[in-house]
Amino acid sequence: MEQTAAFEDDRLKLALTRALTGDAQAFADLVREHQGMVFSIAYHFLQDRSLAEDLAQEVFLELFQSIDRIQSPAHLTYWLRKVTSNRCIDQGRKKYRRREMALEEAPEPVTASGHADPMLLDRLQQSLATLPEKQRMVVIMRFQEGLGPAEIAEVLEMPVNTVKSTLHRSLADLRKGLTRKIREVRYAFF
Amino acid sequence: MHFSEDDLREALKRKDPGEGFTQRLMARVNQSKAEALAQPVTKKVNGKFLSWWMHRPAWAVAVVAMLLLAVGIGGYQYSEYRHAEENRIARMKQQQLQREAERARDQAIMALEIARAKMNHVLQHAQLQAEPNDKIRRERL
Repeated sequence: MEQTAAFEDDRLKLALTRALTGDAQAFADLVREHQGMVFSIAYHFLQDRSLAEDLAQEVFLELFQSIDRIQSPAHLTYWLRKVTSNRCIDQGRKKYRRREMALEEAPEPVTASGHADPMLLDRLQQSLATLPEKQRMVVIMRFQEGLGPAEIAEVLEMPVNTVKSTLHRSLADLRKGLTRKIREVRYAFF
Repeated sequence: MHFSEDDLREALKRKDPGEGFTQRLMARVNQSKAEALAQPVTKKVNGKFLSWWMHRPAWAVAVVAMLLLAVGIGGYQYSEYRHAEENRIARMKQQQLQREAERARDQAIMALEIARAKMNHVLQHAQLQAEPNDKIRRERL
């Protein structure tokens, strides 16, 4: 397992070194490696596939222009998380404008495979969308990326204690939001 | 309804952007490369400069506020300077007018003096002509 991780790290280091010399194929490898992370942060934050894809592409374009500042694969991951979260929060603060897209342009939806109740997951995502920007991003960093409070604090440039309290408040808000939704459903039925 | 942290992890599981994401991105990268080659260096710098400010609205507001403050202070100081300068010019003009008035008064006094002297002279001549006696004339003179 450790050997695989070391091999993966070496592969990324090599790709980064080659990308720094202007190798487009190496840059594409780096994109393939990180596109899931960047797209998912944007998608969970914006709850819109086309906006999330646009944002992810903008982030990678910015990476292409600033690749010479990246020092290591770990720095690359940190940089991508930081730029994506900043862009998401900026986008969230702007007026939410839905961009129309041709059906053939739209990427295929990806189905979630898991054991949890799909309705619960759907409601969780809906409730997440109602949280304020910073709270939403803290939850995404914690539960999508699996970062600890110190790492989240570094990425989002917040004090660690603020991250902890934000996380606590966000979970409470999510619980409240879910309960409210269930009540609405009950009223609709009875 | 209760949910566990695992439910949240499941809801926020990483998703794939779908087929063709990398190809679409690389097409945009190549396009931006071509545009960067076609654009002059100064334009690129301006674009970077603008985007730097656009991503830092608080800084932009602070800088604009500082500029406005500097312009305000500069404007106030300039108006004060202009006001003082106008006062100085007005004072100088007043002093000049005063000097001219004094000179005119002196000239008028001198003219009156000359006229008085001439009149006295003419009067004496007239009196002498009216009295032919030399003795009396001499006494008078």
